[in-house]
Amino acid sequence: MAVSGRVGVLSWWRTPTARRYLFGYTLLAPAVLYVLLLVGVPFLFSLYLAMSDASVGAPVARFVGLENFQAALQSTAFYKALGNTLFFTVGAGILKGLLGTTLAFLLLRPFVGRKVVRALVVIPFTLPIAVSVLGWKWMFDSQFSVVNWALSRLWLIGTYGSPDWPVWLGQPNLALMSVMFVNVWRGFPFSAIVLLAGLTSVPPEIVEAAKVDGASFLQRFRLVIVPMIAPILFVGAAFDTVFTLSDLSIVYLLTNGGPDGATEILPTLAYNTGIRAGALGRGAAISLFLFPLLLPAMILLLRTLRRREH
Amino acid sequence: MTRDQSRWTRQPSTAPSTLNRRKFLSVAGAGVAGGSLLTMLDARQAPAQIRGTSLRMLKWSHFVPAYDAWVDKFAKEWGDKNGVKVRVDHIPHLELPARYAAEFAAGGGHDLIHFAGQILTGQYYRHLVDLSDIATGLGRKYGGWMENAKSAGQVGGTWYGVPDFFIAIPLLWRKDLFDSVGRPAPKTWDDLRTAARLLKPKGKPTGMQFSHCNDANHNWRALMYSFGVKETDPSGQSVAIDSKEMREALRFAKAMYDEGMTPEVFSWDDASDNRFLASGVGCWIHDAISAFVTTKDTNPKVFEHTYVLDEAQGPVAKWNVGEPNVWAIWKFSKNIPAAKEFIQHISDNQKHAMTASRGYNMPFLRDQYKKPMPVLGADPKLSALQEQDKITAFFGHPGPMTPAAQEVLTTFIVPDMFTRVARGAAIEDTMKWGVGEIRRIYAKHKAS
Repeated sequence: MAVSGRVGVLSWWRTPTARRYLFGYTLLAPAVLYVLLLVGVPFLFSLYLAMSDASVGAPVARFVGLENFQAALQSTAFYKALGNTLFFTVGAGILKGLLGTTLAFLLLRPFVGRKVVRALVVIPFTLPIAVSVLGWKWMFDSQFSVVNWALSRLWLIGTYGSPDWPVWLGQPNLALMSVMFVNVWRGFPFSAIVLLAGLTSVPPEIVEAAKVDGASFLQRFRLVIVPMIAPILFVGAAFDTVFTLSDLSIVYLLTNGGPDGATEILPTLAYNTGIRAGALGRGAAISLFLFPLLLPAMILLLRTLRRREH
Repeated sequence: MTRDQSRWTRQPSTAPSTLNRRKFLSVAGAGVAGGSLLTMLDARQAPAQIRGTSLRMLKWSHFVPAYDAWVDKFAKEWGDKNGVKVRVDHIPHLELPARYAAEFAAGGGHDLIHFAGQILTGQYYRHLVDLSDIATGLGRKYGGWMENAKSAGQVGGTWYGVPDFFIAIPLLWRKDLFDSVGRPAPKTWDDLRTAARLLKPKGKPTGMQFSHCNDANHNWRALMYSFGVKETDPSGQSVAIDSKEMREALRFAKAMYDEGMTPEVFSWDDASDNRFLASGVGCWIHDAISAFVTTKDTNPKVFEHTYVLDEAQGPVAKWNVGEPNVWAIWKFSKNIPAAKEFIQHISDNQKHAMTASRGYNMPFLRDQYKKPMPVLGADPKLSALQEQDKITAFFGHPGPMTPAAQEVLTTFIVPDMFTRVARGAAIEDTMKWGVGEIRRIYAKHKAS
């Protein structure tokens, strides 16, 4: 019986179906290997760090189970960072979506110099992040802010030193809004370009037909355009969520999480704990809290995308 | 106490013994021999084994660019003389910890490294070369190390780092503004508070950072230590910040903020107070002398009226909190002999380094405080800084700069405590939060 079963398996391997499978998986293997090496290995390594007492001076460390996660959950700074991260990601995502859509429609219409304008709007996205953020740091400066200077000249705020002189990076709510604003400023051209790519792929006759049928602009957008460009929108949203959630540079350069943790987000807390303080294990645990935040969002997006394809 | 904890316990100093004739002769003989050796060392030649090698070193981009230019030239000349190809890399000081973590993980990188502000000797000592021979030799040659230098360079009594210099953070105050409200030259924190209270209504407030930056960590610690606050016990193992002195320091800071500052201090970075002084608005700031030096160029009128106080006296003590800089060598360095030779050479040329840094780099070795010191001794406004060795402490005081103290520093718990109180939080609530966070960090380090 066993012998006949083995013979059966062996003979299956000789069938054209098996060969087709083998050929297919062989072609797929490099991509799988690539993903495993570039994503899987670092992820498993950070998981290992998060479950160990590794420090920068002793990366080979003992297993501590979930202690690092517990330590993070015991810290009030962590909860503040978690709340800020969610607010920052969701708020910036919504604003980038709105502004990006508006910009995409503006750039879709023909006008003189459209090509030049299209090239110019991507500048914030293409500038080195350190340069652009330092520029904003100056614009938000407590004493020499050009924004405040302009507002003051327009009689919208008082003069320097008066109680209604905004300290953009010093007042807790304003500071969080300011770092979010810079993230939006930097990211919304990307949203616009993604949307623009989608919009240009929509056959104009379909939109015209909807117009003839009496559909308003919003109806055309919601019922005709969005369903047609949904795959592009989903991929763009996925990218943007990942970029925003893991954005360390803007907060690090503008406020470093201050004042009193008002702008602290999980990436800055993880960096300051894991790298600057050297507690690699705890830093990795803090950064891994991003994973359960991202995973459901990504699964939802990709599943919706697949359903639409079917 | 674990083995690692015991490493941080300070070594007891040797008690002085009675001097008899035999001892006197042996000490005198050793002194003469030592003197001859010192003369020989002065004219030391680097060993032939380093000839034909190369040396890569990593330093931060110094706040005084002229110093970086000097170091690069100095290193090149030393390299040319000794047949060593030298390369000096400079990166922003806040990027150093990430760079060292990467070099350590890769097991390769620079042959000679420099810790700036964030002293990582305690993190990496297992992987750093024992530099006791150089440090002990320098100590003997230059009258001994400042007591706090050991905190920067030693772990368990062994020198894994050689202290290079520290940056003093004194007080820069405007004499004309103090005169205008009839206040004499400040000596104490109370004097500073009073002046700020009188000058703020005239549009000339003061400011100290309440934000997440280096200066916030130094400035508030200076106030704390002057009020008698101890961050830990002298071994660095037990948290000691939960004290009436800390509550007093918080109360004082709150009053000083309410009376003499504006909310902009919550947004300041390390350079904001420099600009604040140079703009002519600030009546006093607590910052390195770079603020003083740059004001000379940016606003000579303000500079003319700006004076320097080594530090303000508190109710209990007078402590300035410096920013230490330390040399270290990885065990995986490809050129340990050349790296050690360079440390020795630049330490022997501290006076030139201090001149190149315009008096910014303060020495750790006692004899290098002989007056007149370079730059400081020649400037009456800066001459008060010539005794900075007697009043300088570093973070973690009076304990050493352990990895736990480092984590408390980098997570800005101390400035955040002051921020909360300044914003109106109750002192007891703030103490409960801050002490809880600090204890949690120390407990994690003890457990690991």
